[in-house]
Amino acid sequence: MDTMKLYVHSMRMQMKSQMQYPLSFLMQTIAQLVMEGGEMMAVILLVNRFERLNRWEAGDLYFFFGLMSVTFYLTECFGRGITGNFPYLIRTGQLDTFLARPRGILTQVLCSAADPRRITCIAVGVAALVLGCRMSEVQWTGGKVLLMAEAVLCGSCLILGLFLIEAIFCIYSVKSVELVNALTYGGRSACEYPIDTFPRPLRILFTVLAPFALTLQVPGSVILGKPLYDWPEWAAYLSPLSGVIAFLLIWLCFRRAMRYYRSTGS
Amino acid sequence: MRAYLSTFRLRRRLELQYRGAVVGGVVCQIFFGLILVAIYRAMYLGKPQAMPLSQITSYVWLQQAFFRMLLASDPELLDKIRTGSIAYDLCRPLNLYGFYYMRILAQKMTGSLMRAVPMLIFAFLLPEGWGLALPASPAGLAWSLAALGLGLLCVSALENITMGFTMRTLDSRGMQAMLNLLMMTFAGNILPLTLFPDSWQRVMAWLPYAQLLDAPIRLYTGEKPPSAAPGILLIQAGWIVILTGIGILFWQKNQKRIVIQGG
Repeated sequence: MDTMKLYVHSMRMQMKSQMQYPLSFLMQTIAQLVMEGGEMMAVILLVNRFERLNRWEAGDLYFFFGLMSVTFYLTECFGRGITGNFPYLIRTGQLDTFLARPRGILTQVLCSAADPRRITCIAVGVAALVLGCRMSEVQWTGGKVLLMAEAVLCGSCLILGLFLIEAIFCIYSVKSVELVNALTYGGRSACEYPIDTFPRPLRILFTVLAPFALTLQVPGSVILGKPLYDWPEWAAYLSPLSGVIAFLLIWLCFRRAMRYYRSTGS
Repeated sequence: MRAYLSTFRLRRRLELQYRGAVVGGVVCQIFFGLILVAIYRAMYLGKPQAMPLSQITSYVWLQQAFFRMLLASDPELLDKIRTGSIAYDLCRPLNLYGFYYMRILAQKMTGSLMRAVPMLIFAFLLPEGWGLALPASPAGLAWSLAALGLGLLCVSALENITMGFTMRTLDSRGMQAMLNLLMMTFAGNILPLTLFPDSWQRVMAWLPYAQLLDAPIRLYTGEKPPSAAPGILLIQAGWIVILTGIGILFWQKNQKRIVIQGG
């Protein structure tokens, strides 16, 4: 609990420090809005031209896009320490100071940065979700709300985990290995669309190795009332947990890797 | 003139140093290309379009291959302005605009060629409907190469204008992000321009952004016949003159009011 309080406190400080340059912050936030708005526009234009994608109609496509955007950018907003700053901490040797403090490394890394500029991306995602729900006429029930919250949470875990892979490589090589990001950003770009769009190798990649399909799309498709697979209903509640499992596995690797951490000095 | 040429040569050699980064970049770009092609293929299956699928896949691969050309490439200037070492550049017996133009040109050309060659080979080897198709005609290929050259000049001029904005403020990340984004969208990187609504395309084809990659690609795929090529090259040349003119004026103005940060 104490850790949670620390995290909330440091998030508040991070946000405050970002607001110290309001004009620059505003410009960057607007830039983010334009960026995510551009992505959304691409989906709208594609829908406008092609009308549907396999059995998915316009509303479903907006819904999947929104689900991915909200999850991804929430993670980037509150997990910036892992999603953006870690290689920098290693390169500059700042991680050393974390080792001396009586808290876990990951907690401190998470507390070390926030990225409130993403708020506009999240807003675009929410707009896409609302639009998608309206167009696909989703009937909300308590279970579906729960499922949605679970999907977003577990999706965030998965994304944090995937960014941790980069951190692990970075511990060994000091230099950040951008290739690893292909899985994370590639997963985002691909899984904005339903998984059955893709040929088998990509489907396996995003279901088993980086289970975006299990964490986000299986529950998403159930909410839309068009399940991806004919699994029993409770399976939709279980499958997002794969994101948590992925995170835990990578976290174990991360702890092993930390034992090999050698400071770069200052 | 010789000074500018050697600036060009120096930057080219510098860019050639980072071959390891190129391998990573190429693999990433190929991965993204495959994802995009898969999405467009699935869309096509539901509702075939007037334009054949192979033209879209070729479009995607050419965009991915020359992606580096669109990306802003010279972060050094920002540091120079912040630290004040821009003063050294001002001492050079060169036109500052020309100096930076050559740097950008060399970086964009070498950087994108290094990435484009392996990627295009890979894309050629993919099966029909997935990869890069052969050019529509030998004449189309020749014209598209010429258009690509002009596109390169055009994008360098555009980036130099962005750099002009950079000089105005110390923290220009927001501005830069916005201009880059405009470039990515209207150059056809986020979504092929050929998939935009037809009425939009008529306007967008005239914008400077469409001259960079979209125009050469359309000549390559044969969407625009070789007979349309002289007109396209003329538009490109027009934009090069306009953009370079604006850039030179902009930099001249900036140079008068530039503040050297001490320290």
